[in-house]
Amino acid sequence: MTDSAVIEIRDLVKTFGSFRALDGLDLSVAPGEVHGFLGPNGAGKSTTIRVLLGLLRKDSGDVRLLGGDPWADAATLHRRLAYVPGDVSLWPNLSGGETLDLLIRMRGADPRTSRRDEMVERFALDPTKRGRAYSKGNRQKVALVAAFATDPDLFILDEPTSGLDPLMERVFNDCVAEQTARGATVLLSSHILSEVERLADRVTIIREGRVVETGTLASLRHLQRTRLVAGLSGAVPDLSGRSGVHDVAVDGAQLTCTVDADALPGVLADLTAAGITSLTSSPPSLEELFLDAYRDRAGAGR
Amino acid sequence: MSTTAGWRLLLGLALRRDRVLTGVWIAVLVMMSVASAAATPSLYAAQADRVHAAEALNASPAIVALYGPVLDVTSEGELAMTKMTVLYAVFVAVLFVVVVRRHTRVEEESGRTELVGGTAVGRNAPLAAVAVETVLLALALGVLTALGNTASGLPLAGSVAFGGLWAGTGLVAAGIAAVTAQISASARTCAGFAAGAIGVLFVLRAAGDTGPEWLSWLSPLGWNTQVGAYAATRWWLLAAYPVLALALGAVAVALRARRDLGSGLVAARPGPASGSPRLADAFTLALRTSGTTLVLWMAAAGVMGVVFGMIAPGIGDLLDSQTAQSIIDELGGELVAAILSIVAVVLTYFAATVVAHTSRDETDGRAELVLATGTSRSAWFGATLLVALAGTALLLVMTGLGLWIGYVAADGPGIGNLLVAALAWVPAAWVVGALAVLSLAWGTRWTVLAWVWPAAFMVLALMGDLLELPTWVIDLSPYTHVPAVPSEPWSWGSATTLSAVAAVLLLVAWWRFRERDIH
Repeated sequence: MTDSAVIEIRDLVKTFGSFRALDGLDLSVAPGEVHGFLGPNGAGKSTTIRVLLGLLRKDSGDVRLLGGDPWADAATLHRRLAYVPGDVSLWPNLSGGETLDLLIRMRGADPRTSRRDEMVERFALDPTKRGRAYSKGNRQKVALVAAFATDPDLFILDEPTSGLDPLMERVFNDCVAEQTARGATVLLSSHILSEVERLADRVTIIREGRVVETGTLASLRHLQRTRLVAGLSGAVPDLSGRSGVHDVAVDGAQLTCTVDADALPGVLADLTAAGITSLTSSPPSLEELFLDAYRDRAGAGR
Repeated sequence: MSTTAGWRLLLGLALRRDRVLTGVWIAVLVMMSVASAAATPSLYAAQADRVHAAEALNASPAIVALYGPVLDVTSEGELAMTKMTVLYAVFVAVLFVVVVRRHTRVEEESGRTELVGGTAVGRNAPLAAVAVETVLLALALGVLTALGNTASGLPLAGSVAFGGLWAGTGLVAAGIAAVTAQISASARTCAGFAAGAIGVLFVLRAAGDTGPEWLSWLSPLGWNTQVGAYAATRWWLLAAYPVLALALGAVAVALRARRDLGSGLVAARPGPASGSPRLADAFTLALRTSGTTLVLWMAAAGVMGVVFGMIAPGIGDLLDSQTAQSIIDELGGELVAAILSIVAVVLTYFAATVVAHTSRDETDGRAELVLATGTSRSAWFGATLLVALAGTALLLVMTGLGLWIGYVAADGPGIGNLLVAALAWVPAAWVVGALAVLSLAWGTRWTVLAWVWPAAFMVLALMGDLLELPTWVIDLSPYTHVPAVPSEPWSWGSATTLSAVAAVLLLVAWWRFRERDIH
């Protein structure tokens, strides 16, 4: 945690009535990094972002955004950031182009000197349609174009690619890469985990308003298992009782299982002894990391 | 699959969603009718008193323009139902417009119809379901009103006829709403068309009742009087309401077949590819989103002003030719004051629509989009209250100008500045508008109160005496503190006090809006 952090949250608490949406949350985002912000639905991702945007008032804790107070200095700070919500709602009778220009102007930029037209083209957006006529994906594109058209210091993206097709997701990834190359900081909340995996430098996983894990992707891999699919020529060994081995399934001569890192040498030795005809291993996906974090906490709480 | 498949499911859903809204609304209407029926015998004990009162009502064109004439001056029921027959029937009509619009165009605009349309539900199922719902509501309203009036001592036959004409008004209003719901893709514009149609029918009847009678027969609201529930009842006329309602329903179905889901009758033109440089902040955005509504309301207010302005001097004709100029002036002034007391309340609803719009911006997430830019909460909030309150004032100015133009066009004698008469209502409208803004500031779930305040204050003003409420309760309504200009002189005291109250309410609202969570 550095003093120059773009986002610095310590022990943040936010309650709605008796419900503790955020229960002592910590988050630190360094300048220039893409920070993945993960958690199941209702974990408090959007609540955290809304506190950061000064939309919600914190109950306690310290929150600093771009060196300022997100509640007191909201409008000033917002000129230096771009926000894309996960579910974009547009004015029904404003055209997409009007909405784009309005949002860009409201951030204090001029759409005519921005990359607006370039982004409209890259995201293949028809700006002449009225807000009520856009599909979910197209509404999302309006917010994304408005965000990437300018060069803010910070992007706050709350599940920004929901509703986008894979082609547009690639455009989105390119845009994020261009912005970080320029030195921008990105807070990327998502449960489309492959997207975070590709873009994020560091990840914070939260659940029930608290941080479960935080660190670089590499540092989180210790948690993880390897998924093995092996074709065997000899007798299939019985791995189901062994410690560190999970989800064993046998289908004829094919064995599928997930293995903890420390149990891997033993399992591989047994498989070799049984005569391997084919072997595939998948690296831990963030999805599984995430499930682990979730499962462990659920187990500990019981 | 039949085009109405699944309507039963939708009906169940609608009845469940509407149970509070329709329950309260119908209860208030029935209560008003029962209170009027019960209060009349104590107000006018002797037959002679009643005849005298009824003749006095009929002699005042202002009252006739607002309430319609009393057809049989000897009938207790006709006198008791003077305000109910036409004016309160408008509130019946509004309920049915709200219900129909809520289950047709609002659902379509929100995309929920699409969700439902993807299931085994036919194209016309929403219309069919809401048609059945409105028939059920009309039946409930009619039967309860008839029972209530009978229980209050009015004759059974007349009460049945009266319940029937209220129910009929509701059905016709539902038909009008079903047609207007097809016209535009915007639920708000559709509401504007429906309100405009009801306004035209009201004005048509007012003109007919104070002038050529055939005009009243063109308006279902005019039928309300002509049925003569407690006079020589024209039972056959009660059949005209469902016939008209069915015809309107058929038009709605035909129009629905000619358009796509989510669109209006006119295909949406492509919008501009880029925004005007002037559309750059919360205020210009509020103007852009509420501008069309404001222009429509301004046109309606102006036209209504002209019509009533033209009626005002004509009432002198009804009087004996020897009548002094001053009395004509006074009657004209009385009409203007009486009309304005209703119009001011109706125009306050413009503020409610602006507040409701901002509230939906917040619940839908558009406020979040704006407040995440350099736009401050104060700017966002200020834009809403500025458009709401300045818009309401502008509407009253339009009404005043219309009255003036109509009055001059009809060669009315000078009754002073009618613009001032309209402006006298501005501070009261601001207080009620400020209450609407305060409701939003407190939280979006309170915004519904924006619709309640004007109606509650009008009921208080119109019914307070009848219900024998204490003066201080009646005085809670800002509208009771407005001098009846031009019959009474303009009062700086009332204008300043009401404006100060509005200012305090707005300050509290601003403080609250800056402090609270935006969801």
